[in-house]
Amino acid sequence: MSNIMKINIGPQHPSTHGVLRLITELDGEEIISIEPVVGYLHRGLEKLAENRSYLQYLPMVDRIDYLGGFFTSYAYCNCVEHLLNCVVPKRAEYIRVLCMELNRIASHLLWLGTFMLDLGASSPLFYCFRDREIILSLFEELTGQRMMYNYFVFGGVRFDVTNEWLNKVSDFIVKFPQCISDYEKIITKNPIFTDRTVNKGILSKNVALQYSVTGPNLRASGMDLDFRKSNPYSVYDKLDFVPAVNHLCDSYGRYLVRIAEMKSSVDIVKQVVRYLKENNGDISANIKAINLKVQEGEYTSYVESSRGLLCCYLRADGSGKPYRVKWRTGSYYAVQVLPQIAKNVNYNDLIAIFGSLDVIMPEVDK
Amino acid sequence: MIKIFRKILSLIQGHITVFKHSFKKRVTLEYPEVKPVIPERFRGKPDWYGNKCIGCKLCEKVCPAFAVTVDKLNDNINFKIDLSKCILCGNCMYNCPKSAIKLTSDFELATDLKENLIVNKNSKDELYE
Repeated sequence: MSNIMKINIGPQHPSTHGVLRLITELDGEEIISIEPVVGYLHRGLEKLAENRSYLQYLPMVDRIDYLGGFFTSYAYCNCVEHLLNCVVPKRAEYIRVLCMELNRIASHLLWLGTFMLDLGASSPLFYCFRDREIILSLFEELTGQRMMYNYFVFGGVRFDVTNEWLNKVSDFIVKFPQCISDYEKIITKNPIFTDRTVNKGILSKNVALQYSVTGPNLRASGMDLDFRKSNPYSVYDKLDFVPAVNHLCDSYGRYLVRIAEMKSSVDIVKQVVRYLKENNGDISANIKAINLKVQEGEYTSYVESSRGLLCCYLRADGSGKPYRVKWRTGSYYAVQVLPQIAKNVNYNDLIAIFGSLDVIMPEVDK
Repeated sequence: MIKIFRKILSLIQGHITVFKHSFKKRVTLEYPEVKPVIPERFRGKPDWYGNKCIGCKLCEKVCPAFAVTVDKLNDNINFKIDLSKCILCGNCMYNCPKSAIKLTSDFELATDLKENLIVNKNSKDELYE
């Protein structure tokens, strides 16, 4: 008699971070195979673009990744700007980088909180949300909303930043390293945490490359690939920062990379705030977005988002609507690699391993 | 032995940090009694000013959710917005040439009837003259 048992995890499961279904086969408590089933959150965001004008589609791209709306906005705006041959003013680019880096910190903070909750620690969740709240309030003040910003426009940004707002950002950036060190004091050397993450969910460099895993997950496998450094977009080539790389390959390594990435984001924000305080200028190239017609052509923009490489492919046919929009998001590949890295592990560790990959379901299903 | 000692030490350090945090200022609000401070640019419930509107229908054109409908008959403009479709993106406000739409700071949109979410306004209404 076979002892193999099939267990269905999700789609309504608090630890799958959305609506992911995992069909697992267990032998006792050991996982033999996993089959992820995605698509429960599919909203057809690529198809929606085809019957909307360029401007009408702009607020929708924020919804692809609700924790990193600025990244998707930037990728889409960058495509349109490239096809229009428009030069974005420098100040606008710096504001965009500032927003994206703060967004990266906020996104990693939420990941840290929920990952720790998956492992059973509840205090870090509250601390992470408390500190993330400061960033969200800053965004709310600047853009008008906490998550769905609609702030980047074709050719720049919608509003200029004020000195008062920049001072608030500086205040936060001064205080934030202390917060990170507090998280590290609670988490990094905690034996309960290390027992459940060290040497668990090993994602080797080869497997990561075969499955095209990108972002912090790949960098935790010892591959130094950061699109901000390797293919600098926006003004990243003028900024000084060190991408976080780690050779541990396990859940613990992925945790360390994200913590280090928050620190490097803090460095970038400091430099950008200094630039914005010293330099004035235009914030938009003043493109008339209503009735915008984009000349025939295609372009793909690459953005290093908080969950890996984000690509936006845009094909224009000369009319007022995009002919085709295609999104490549980091989380999708992180889900695909889960059957590989969670093979022959204990059932208890599955959620811990899955949590360490930082998967956001709307980004997977689009 | 040293390993166990280190583990206990790190646990104690974590507990001390958590204990220190318990003396920090409270960050939550007792919501219905205490309202949050809403920033100036906040995008909440859309409001329409009939005396400013010229009926150019740009808001209808830029709305991603097709939530806005504007009908113009002679000087009489009828403005209809379905808040159950509206995604509060602010495209209508940002692109209105006469600033006739404003997304107000009203964020409490919950209701038990769908009809309450359909706002129908006419420029002839006394309230908006």
